Amino acid sequence: MADDKINSYAQAILSVAAGEGTGTKVEDELYRFAQVLEGSDELKTTLSDSSVPTARRQQIVEDLLDGQVTQTTVALVSMLVAAGRGSDIKSIADRVVALGAETREKAVAEVFSVVELTDDQQSRLATALKSATGKDVEMKVIIDESVMGGLLVQIEDEVIDGTVRTRLKQLREAF
Amino acid sequence: MKKRFVIAFISGSLLLTLGMTGTASASGESVGSCAIEEIEAFEEETGLSLHDLHGGGNEEALQTLSDSVEGCIEAPSPIIPEVNEIIWGGGAFLVLLALMLWKGFPAVQKIMNERSEKIASDLDEADKAKADAQAVKSQYEAELADAKSAAAAVLEEARQQAEVLRSDLQARAETEIAEMKSQAASDIEAAHDRAMGDLQSEVADIVVGAAERVVEANLDAEAQARLIDNYIDQVGSN
Repeated sequence: MADDKINSYAQAILSVAAGEGTGTKVEDELYRFAQVLEGSDELKTTLSDSSVPTARRQQIVEDLLDGQVTQTTVALVSMLVAAGRGSDIKSIADRVVALGAETREKAVAEVFSVVELTDDQQSRLATALKSATGKDVEMKVIIDESVMGGLLVQIEDEVIDGTVRTRLKQLREAF
Repeated sequence: MKKRFVIAFISGSLLLTLGMTGTASASGESVGSCAIEEIEAFEEETGLSLHDLHGGGNEEALQTLSDSVEGCIEAPSPIIPEVNEIIWGGGAFLVLLALMLWKGFPAVQKIMNERSEKIASDLDEADKAKADAQAVKSQYEAELADAKSAAAAVLEEARQQAEVLRSDLQARAETEIAEMKSQAASDIEAAHDRAMGDLQSEVADIVVGAAERVVEANLDAEAQARLIDNYIDQVGSN
């Protein structure tokens, strides 16, 4: 899908969210749903399969998200699936988050961790990242068991890797 | 042509001589006249003719005549010929000698001269042929010498080429041996490196696997929090 179309969908979603007064929350929910979708090939394939009736695909979205996220998020995701953009949800969600942060003059920091970060840890990490990169960041914490421990932070093209997985990899390469 | 002429001339001379001597002999100057004289004397003495003797009954007279005639038959002398024979033989000899001097000797001389010239010519030709043969022989000997020289040169060239080839082969063999040694050393080194790599990989798998198990066993919530705090402190200090 062309970047201009992804950008158009992202801006449309941000406008709807802003209109509903749930801008930041919709961004976060859409981002988390995109992460879940990336972790499930079956779900991603189903939502992208044009042979599956649109109503069926929308019903699957509603069944998954109903009660878990805001109705605005459910409606927006359902809209994307109905528009045949099920395979572009991840790209659109990333663009929504990036455009939202940009609007707030912040950068998006994807934080990969085995456990959820406490508010204190997130606050201190935001301060530390601003100190290291000079940018105010909005953190999107992604639970990833493969990192084994520690954190991996990606801000735009910059990666700060402090995971146990990488340490063990370096140990293996040291032999 | 000349040969046939000479042969005809000599044959004619001989026939003439024999004919003349034959004529002289047939005249019966010695035996014939003696026999006639004896017969005439017998007829006068006996009063008998030769026809009378054919009738038989005169055997004694016939025997007497036969003895008388046989007495004539006896050669007068084996050494001294009759005069008439000498005359006829001398005349024939002179005629023959004249003919020989007039025609025979010049012809024979001419033939002899031609023969001598031919023999001299043949000798010259033989000498020339001998010289030619000698020249050919010399040429052959020179060519043989050249051939021997060429053969020797070819052999020498072949020997040199063989020597060069042997040197090349030896050098190539030495190079190949050196390459094989180098390749073998490289193979051994590569095998050693592979073995060491495999060993290191296995050791790394064992060590890292053990480390992973230790880390997983010890990464409880408190350890995770401590790792996160350390990460935040490290990022903040940069």
